[in-house]
Amino acid sequence: MRRALPLLIGLLAATSCLSPAARADDTLSFPVLVPLTGFLSLEGTSQRNGAVLALKQTPAGVAIASEVVDTGTSPEAAVTALERAAGSGTVGAVAASMLGTQMLAMLPLAQELKLPLVTVSGTASITEQDNPWVFRFFPGDAVTKAAHARYVVEELGKRQPAIIYQTTAYGQSGKAHLDAAFKALGVTPVFEEGVDPAAKDLLPVLTKALAAKPDVLVLHLHSGPTALLLRQAASSGVTLPIVAGSAMHQPSTAALLEPSELKGVCAETAASPVSGDTPEVKAFTDAYRTAFGKEPDAFALGQYDGMTMVLEAVKAGARTPDAIRRALSAETFKGLAMTYKSDGKGNMAHSAVIVCYDGTSRVPALVKRYDDPALAAK
Amino acid sequence: MGERSPSRIPLIAGAFALVVYALAFASPYGLRVLTVAGVYALATLGFKIVFGLGGALSWAQGAFFGVGAYVTGILGSRYGLGFETTFPLSMLVPLLLALPVGLAVLRLESHYFALATLGIAQVLHLLAVNLPELTGGSNGLAGVPAAVLFGWPVPRGLPMAGLVWGLVAVGGLIGWRLAQGRIGRSLTMLRDDPLAAATLGLDVGRLRLTAFCISALFGGAAGALAVHTQRVVSPEVLEFPVMVSILTIAIVGGRGRMAGAVLGAVLLLHLPEWFRFLERGYLVVYGVALLATVVLAPDGLTGLLDRIARRLSGGRPPILAAATEPPPLPNPPDGMTVEGVRKSFGGVLAVDGVSLALRPGTITGLIGPNGSGKSTVINLLSGLERSDAGRVRLGGQEVTGARADRLARAGLARSFQAAALPAGAGVLEAVAAARLAIDPDAATAQAHARWALDRLGVGALAGQGCDGLPAALRRRVELARSLVRRPAVLLLDEPAAGLTDGEKAELATLLRALAGEGMAILLVEHDMEFLLPLAGTVLCLDRGRVIYDGPASGVRLDPAVAAAYLGRAVSA
Repeated sequence: MRRALPLLIGLLAATSCLSPAARADDTLSFPVLVPLTGFLSLEGTSQRNGAVLALKQTPAGVAIASEVVDTGTSPEAAVTALERAAGSGTVGAVAASMLGTQMLAMLPLAQELKLPLVTVSGTASITEQDNPWVFRFFPGDAVTKAAHARYVVEELGKRQPAIIYQTTAYGQSGKAHLDAAFKALGVTPVFEEGVDPAAKDLLPVLTKALAAKPDVLVLHLHSGPTALLLRQAASSGVTLPIVAGSAMHQPSTAALLEPSELKGVCAETAASPVSGDTPEVKAFTDAYRTAFGKEPDAFALGQYDGMTMVLEAVKAGARTPDAIRRALSAETFKGLAMTYKSDGKGNMAHSAVIVCYDGTSRVPALVKRYDDPALAAK
Repeated sequence: MGERSPSRIPLIAGAFALVVYALAFASPYGLRVLTVAGVYALATLGFKIVFGLGGALSWAQGAFFGVGAYVTGILGSRYGLGFETTFPLSMLVPLLLALPVGLAVLRLESHYFALATLGIAQVLHLLAVNLPELTGGSNGLAGVPAAVLFGWPVPRGLPMAGLVWGLVAVGGLIGWRLAQGRIGRSLTMLRDDPLAAATLGLDVGRLRLTAFCISALFGGAAGALAVHTQRVVSPEVLEFPVMVSILTIAIVGGRGRMAGAVLGAVLLLHLPEWFRFLERGYLVVYGVALLATVVLAPDGLTGLLDRIARRLSGGRPPILAAATEPPPLPNPPDGMTVEGVRKSFGGVLAVDGVSLALRPGTITGLIGPNGSGKSTVINLLSGLERSDAGRVRLGGQEVTGARADRLARAGLARSFQAAALPAGAGVLEAVAAARLAIDPDAATAQAHARWALDRLGVGALAGQGCDGLPAALRRRVELARSLVRRPAVLLLDEPAAGLTDGEKAELATLLRALAGEGMAILLVEHDMEFLLPLAGTVLCLDRGRVIYDGPASGVRLDPAVAAAYLGRAVSA
């Protein structure tokens, strides 16, 4: 016992030393707590890169620190990461996971710790918790799905959509909002079915959908399943128009398909930085490619805009989490993707775009912009 | 194997260090990691009972964890019920789930059982995703309140860590008592050799069901605490990673030891946190560290501590209970009678109409060439095989088709051709296991086991392990296991195989003495020099049929026996 006790106490003391120690200086910390492993690693990495790129724009006279922590995909890991981040000096704001269940778990703790969470999570319910510490820089499903449905009905003139969605939080939330948006437009889907993200063959659900005689396929799937369904649709000779969810706009999704397989496919998204519709977006895309050797997507741009707005607040004198929260709640910010303004619940993004592929390249063209389409649909 | 003491001091020191760390050093983050470690320790304590002690790889532990989490999540967030209501219900609902599931799957063989239990978690996960009105669907339920204990909301940090670890302490104590007691030792016997366990009177099905239900209680409790820690419940609590974490903690901590659940949970929950600064790279370091732990401590951390503690203590002999003679069972007046027993395996008729009578105070020999059906007859009589036809009576009671454990409790004992002693167990433990279904507690069983070992002249082996014992001593220890039950009928399958002439003579003396006490003995043997002077009656089997049933003195004269087995008839 005489030998074991000091050893164990030493080990545990070392544990506490490895824990982030409180910093004594005036450095403002902006932890990046995102899913880098697990099924959301691609999107989470985009989110990380957007945040990291934004945090390179250090305002003059302010010392900034940032640590990237992988939250995996479990709520428990996200909450632990937030508690860890809170212990590492003065935290200004947190770039928080895009995974809805992780955000829902982090929200009570963020409120207790009084830390603003800046995220690109699309899960509707995160801004429905009456929590003043959450700020979403990505249009929620109410916005994107209204744009999705309106493009199908108003631009393509289709009234018999078949909806294929994912049986995840992302999929269920999107499906619910698609239903509401189509109903508002007087359209009833002829087919709706959820598929597991682990499904390796989507031909059965595609065949069932086609049997319902739709005039358009509406997808709300994650990246991999979106690519799989589009490939199987192309190889089956499906000629129906396909309007996919935001996963399609990701360059990593398009990279899984041949340009010919993308012909006639459209997708809703918050932005498409690779489409480079403004010089500022082009500059962002170039900087992103240089820094990470990858193509940016809307998640990267949304998180970049979010953290840039946070830094703008710091530049304007906000030095505490509460001051940053007040700035995010009150100010209007013209970002690269759109203009951001809180609706009082933390929803900062109110625009969505539709991009379409012409079958010759993997870079889509921006074909339609909806500013606050949810309100417009009403 | 139950809990043993060598590493007790370092474990107590570790617990003390943990308390000191929590009270004096831990940051809120450190306390959270410690709290989550406590949650997993509690879930693993339950898993250790069903898997570590009982040897059943139950993937349902993750499901019980998830069900407990959802019960607390739903009742807490939707109905505002307090901890004193939600916590017991979070244990009760998994228990109610475990009962029918256990009855359905617990008799499956190991891998089928594992697959079946994995399926339970999958079904529950599907339900959680597809019943959004009840469960919140894939998003789950947010806004689960903190644990409210009799009106006091337990704050996060030290109070919550205290609540969780307090319950871990209670759970650990319960688990430790179980492991030390009859249930734990019976489960260990069952894990090491289910067939032998049944022939020692242990009800395999009931024991497994008990362990499965206890594991469900622990799993549900852990799930409830997990939700209060996270404040949200979502389908992730029913996903595979939760179960993998529990299994990893159990293996790294040490499979059969309750303390291993705590050690494993503390290490495995802290390990990734130490390397978080490596972004994705922490998983590689975590994997390497885990692999190193498993390689360096194949018996888990508690096994490693045991080894170190034994080395430091210089291998002091354990303190053993004093020998006590177990009360003899009342000898049934008519022993065991068998009429026309038949058994086929597919198209092969292994036993065909065998009848015999094992009377108290007699030794009956059963001989025959290899493959003639001798072992099958013993398996039929001891309940390990079920006969296709025929009747068996034991002590005047009809026991045809009875399970092995019932026959054992009715006064039957048997040995196996290859002495079936559990690997890694101590000699005293192995023999005491035979009394677990009879004696009121493990200490009494050990005292009786010492008596049996002394009677067989191997009392000095009591403090040793079974592994590495020479064949002759293994046979004696196995015989002690049969003897300690004081059976009315004893079935011995080639007990003299591998013994020297002197050892055979000692065995013969013992068997005569046992018969003299009124025991009915059936002796399957190839060694005629050993058997014939002992046995009053001998039966010879050939291709499943009795070709001789008569006095031992007539065996060598019988032409059918000579033709089928002995090779030549001997004139009188």
